[in-house]
Amino acid sequence: MFGLIAVGFSLVWGVMHIVNLSHGAFVLLGAYLAWQLNVYFGLDPFLGMLPAGLALFALGYGLQRGLINLVVNAPIFITLLLTFGLELLLVNGLILVFTADYRAIPTSYAAHSLILPGDVRVPFGRLLAAVLAIGVTALLGYVFKRTRTGLAILATGMDRGAARLMGISARHVYALTYGLAAGLAGAAGAAVGAVSTFSPADAGRFTLFSFVAAVLGGLGNTSGALLGGLLLGLVEAWGGQLLPGTLINAVAFGVLVVVLAVRPQGLAGKAFYASRVEV
Amino acid sequence: MSVQQTPAADGGSHFVVNARPADAPRSSLSSPLVGWALGGLALLLAFGLLTQLYTGQVRTVTTIYMFVGLASAWNLIGGFTGYACFGQVGFFGLGGYTTAVLMTHGGVSFWLALPLSAALGGAFAALVGWPLLRLKGHYFAVATLGVAEGLREVVINLPELTGGGGGISIPTAVGKAPTPWLGNDGFYMLFLLLAAACVAVAGVLIRVRAGYGLRAIHQDEDAAAAIGIHVTRAKLAAFAGSAALTAAIGSAYAFQQVTIFPERLFDVHLTVLMVVMVVIGGAGSVIGPVVGAVAIAFASEWLRQRLPQGHAFALGLLIVLAVILMPQGFRHYVGDVLRERRFSLLDNVRRYRL
Repeated sequence: MFGLIAVGFSLVWGVMHIVNLSHGAFVLLGAYLAWQLNVYFGLDPFLGMLPAGLALFALGYGLQRGLINLVVNAPIFITLLLTFGLELLLVNGLILVFTADYRAIPTSYAAHSLILPGDVRVPFGRLLAAVLAIGVTALLGYVFKRTRTGLAILATGMDRGAARLMGISARHVYALTYGLAAGLAGAAGAAVGAVSTFSPADAGRFTLFSFVAAVLGGLGNTSGALLGGLLLGLVEAWGGQLLPGTLINAVAFGVLVVVLAVRPQGLAGKAFYASRVEV
Repeated sequence: MSVQQTPAADGGSHFVVNARPADAPRSSLSSPLVGWALGGLALLLAFGLLTQLYTGQVRTVTTIYMFVGLASAWNLIGGFTGYACFGQVGFFGLGGYTTAVLMTHGGVSFWLALPLSAALGGAFAALVGWPLLRLKGHYFAVATLGVAEGLREVVINLPELTGGGGGISIPTAVGKAPTPWLGNDGFYMLFLLLAAACVAVAGVLIRVRAGYGLRAIHQDEDAAAAIGIHVTRAKLAAFAGSAALTAAIGSAYAFQQVTIFPERLFDVHLTVLMVVMVVIGGAGSVIGPVVGAVAIAFASEWLRQRLPQGHAFALGLLIVLAVILMPQGFRHYVGDVLRERRFSLLDNVRRYRL
């Protein structure tokens, strides 16, 4: 589930070179949307992933087409600032509408556990979220490898000039990519709402998390991002028991810095975009 | 060279904030003597301003000075050298905690702790900069972000030394304090002088050989190395200097706040604010970060008073508008207007559009 968030972040980074600081805000928008649907229509949050994802896709597409495309050729700081401004707008908009209280979407089954041999308990909600995350990423992989749209996105990410010469509309593809990332974040947000609590203040945490997971997996490498997300989740869960306090976070960031310094293409290893990322 | 040629139209040079040649035509305003004279005058006026403010305003203006200093310090590495450092708040926190620990546990005078903190910040930056400055672009940004976050976690997990997540209080009670608290007016002076020092460093750097070297690195690092600039040394020096100034401001901030918490001293938003201020004011210039810091800090405070509910919302809207309409920053926008007589903000929008 965390992997799903990181996948979208990594996608935007890889294709457009945008560090999307508003990514965490999209996750929360998805969570709040699913929460609203649950309150008014009793919609199951995992089914709510679909409308949340679609709504966020539309929002992301519009944002990129109307706003971010205006500065996409600008230096890194500019796009970063723009997404920071968007994050402020979205998060504080959420606070104004929904207040800063913590929320959760209750389901009848998410808290029940599947008991495996060896006294391992896996809550159904988290299991479902994990399965869905892997499924969506596999689907995404198929789209990128097999469909014209997916290939167009990859091509634009590799060389925008050449892609445009091949008749690909870069504006449309960029908007599509951003919409896809926002949609994934929204869907993940709905799942987050089902398995844990959330409040507008969490946006920064989600963004930071996807940052780290995307780097661990290799920038722009979507399956790597999923892997990085899973790895990070595991390390946090186990390390939290072995090490005192929150020292595990220091370790995680230490690993991050070392990975960057030694192996910038990520742990997943394929120098997919890294070969061309910066001049 | 005309402005149309300078922006990175090929989409390849993503890290050229200010792609103008170093010998761009100077308006009379930027000639060195006039600049220093105006700077000195502004400093005098700022001292005079103290007598005109009541207590609450003194605190606000002090905060503005702090941001002027921070933005100018970040500008050294981010604006001049073009390395997007996203861990600047790490040096801020490091300076603050060094001072707090020295004064609490060591009973060291603040006036000794301040330079010590700055030195430690600079040394630490040189240490991590050695491997990290080899990274470029996003990679450098994320790595420095990781360093800052890691520092915060280390501080949280050393409760004997730093008080952990509960924070640490610098003793200020009369008799026990290594240095008595400076009072609002004292901190006003202190932050003003620190900010002036940061701006002065930038003012010197923009005219001397080392500064030209940094800006050459910004525009093309390989070319800079080819013409004989010791690239690694120059980058390390800029990084360490920027970090030392930031740590000094963090040190003063810690003493002003008395009680400090890791969440506050290592707040990522502080880094982002520095970047916002520099970019909106005009990266790579002397006056840009000052303008940006004053404008943003003032707008933030003003909105906080007028719109207690939605001030952050309005600030976000303001940033989005500013970035779209003035992507090159206020300082460079004014420069372009003076040089080319083209006022249209729509031209700005066209510049980086896809």
